[in-house]
Amino acid sequence: MAQRLDAALELLDRQLVDKDGQLAGKVDDLELTDPGDNPDPPDVTAILTGPAALAGRLHTPVGRWLAKAAARLLAPGHQQPSRVPLDQVEAVGASIQLKVAAGQLDAGAGEARARRLIGGIPGAGDAAQ
Amino acid sequence: MRKLLEIALGVLTAIGGFVDIGDLVASTETGARFGLGLAWVVVVGVLGIIVYAEMAGRVASVSGRAVFDLVRERLGAGVGLLNLAASFFITLLTLAAEIGGVALSLQLATSVNYLLFVPIVGLLVWLVCWRVRFELMDNAVGLLGLALIVVAVAVWRAHPDWGAMLHSATHPVVPGTESHAAYWYFAIALLGSAMTPYEVFFFSSGAVEQRWTRSDLLVNRLNVYIGFPLGGLLALALMVAAALVLEPRGIDPSHLSQAALPTSLVLGKLGLALALLGFFACTSGAALETALSCGYSIAQYFGWPWGKLIKPARAPRFQLIVLVSIALGAGLVLTTLDPIKLTEYAIVLSAAALPLTYLPLLIVANDPAYLGDKVNSRLSNAIASAYLVVLVVASVATVPLMVVSKAGGG
Amino acid sequence: MRLSELLGAEVVDEHGHTVGKVHDVRLVQEGPRPGGAGPGLRVEGLLVGRRALGARFGFGRGADRGPWLLKALLGSAGHDGRYLPWGRIRSIQARQIRITGTAGDLPRPEPLGEVPLHREQTEGSWRVRR
Repeated sequence: MAQRLDAALELLDRQLVDKDGQLAGKVDDLELTDPGDNPDPPDVTAILTGPAALAGRLHTPVGRWLAKAAARLLAPGHQQPSRVPLDQVEAVGASIQLKVAAGQLDAGAGEARARRLIGGIPGAGDAAQ
Repeated sequence: MRKLLEIALGVLTAIGGFVDIGDLVASTETGARFGLGLAWVVVVGVLGIIVYAEMAGRVASVSGRAVFDLVRERLGAGVGLLNLAASFFITLLTLAAEIGGVALSLQLATSVNYLLFVPIVGLLVWLVCWRVRFELMDNAVGLLGLALIVVAVAVWRAHPDWGAMLHSATHPVVPGTESHAAYWYFAIALLGSAMTPYEVFFFSSGAVEQRWTRSDLLVNRLNVYIGFPLGGLLALALMVAAALVLEPRGIDPSHLSQAALPTSLVLGKLGLALALLGFFACTSGAALETALSCGYSIAQYFGWPWGKLIKPARAPRFQLIVLVSIALGAGLVLTTLDPIKLTEYAIVLSAAALPLTYLPLLIVANDPAYLGDKVNSRLSNAIASAYLVVLVVASVATVPLMVVSKAGGG
Repeated sequence: MRLSELLGAEVVDEHGHTVGKVHDVRLVQEGPRPGGAGPGLRVEGLLVGRRALGARFGFGRGADRGPWLLKALLGSAGHDGRYLPWGRIRSIQARQIRITGTAGDLPRPEPLGEVPLHREQTEGSWRVRR
């Protein structure tokens, strides 16, 4: 029997977790195929994540502005949302389990950039107790 | 035995860590200007934070998720972002106020201008968040904060007329020198200083990082039910001290030194030293907590890795946010804006934003999908809802009162 | 196209009456895709409701519980809405979806039951694990 799920309730705003258990962002939006004139319903092709994806979700002017500001501050140079293709999803549950490591995701670019910025500071690689 | 020590440590640090610059300023100022007329607000505020902090701890223990994380998931990106924006802004303002508080405490102890201390304080706060053993520092300042007990001792030793004090606390009267608008404005400020939003984020994030589970619920409750009221007593002691010493002399506290004045009058140099140690410790602890809370809120909303126990390289954006927040907070203090005024604005705006913080928490705490059978009891729902009504009223009244009372000045 | 373009869009029937707004999008697992990429997800239909805030803000999910004050203010359990199969859509333009027929002949959404705790994707199909 085909499984059904409601996107806003069970997918959107859920935590993405990579194969090592690392947090990898939230499901900010879903990418669908464009139905165009085709009567067939669209397919979900990817999960979209990142402040740029979030801006599309918010329909109030204030919310949009906030998300765009966040996108410029926190993910500069990445005006397009990060994609997680659906075939990289392992399981859908309380959180979305991915098959790959965060670093390999397009969505991992933000963390990588931040790591370059602070990685030089002594102690970055040591855990505090 | 070991468990008992753990509980004792938790309770003691909850007591010592309860007071922050907001409580210091609010309690002293209201004591000096209104006597014990606003003592009831402290009681109301402490009960409120007890109810909601217990909820936050329970949510974290049972669901394994922190408050901001769940708020977005449960209420959606839009509401979550509004919540985040307000909470982050206020926590940042509070962080600046705490940094100012630490610097002022150091100024009182050394007579060196507080502005010179600000960059050092900022750097030290950041270092502890970055690398130094956080738990150790947080417990240390929590315990050192117990030095504030000296204020309660000073009140005791001053032999006040307890009967008269109880009467004026239970029959609040607006003094002739003050307007009603100012009275209610400070009531809101006091409420904001007791029910600080960052407390909830910090508490729940710490619980998640330490992997609290259902079996920790009891410890959580003990910390909250015993630690917070006793901490609230310290805030009350500050108010009583100000009422006893500053009010009769008509001293309007605009400097932190005046908060220490009652204690030094009654207990001399030793009393003063302990009071200053207490001020330093409680503002330092709060500076650490607000700095991390700035990071927690943004990282949890966006789903980025976060945590003070993991190595910074594994949560770089979180650490970057903490660093930038401290820099911004320190920067705000360095603009030479009066730290006391800054604190007042921080607590008043906190009060105005409280419904935004607590309503989502209340909704999440009632969702069996996250809490299973540990959802709110009828009693906590009843109390929490009543508080929400009060908080909404206070929130709506904040700006009008601020205008009419000229931010408490008129 | 993005999911966010569908959410919150206004649904209008063939007489021009507003049916409501899109609260959610029902997805269905389709069979294994060619090339062994694992099962995909396809849109099956839309959940349309009248309340502006949607079912999320209230106490819709799970058991009907919560402080009575909030329930009264925010609305309580259940979805007051309708289910719109994709086939009934005539056009989607700029946040407005036009459908064939009227609001009245849209069915109630089939409840998916309590949100399952875990679903796993194994051997090309999603499996629900409770």
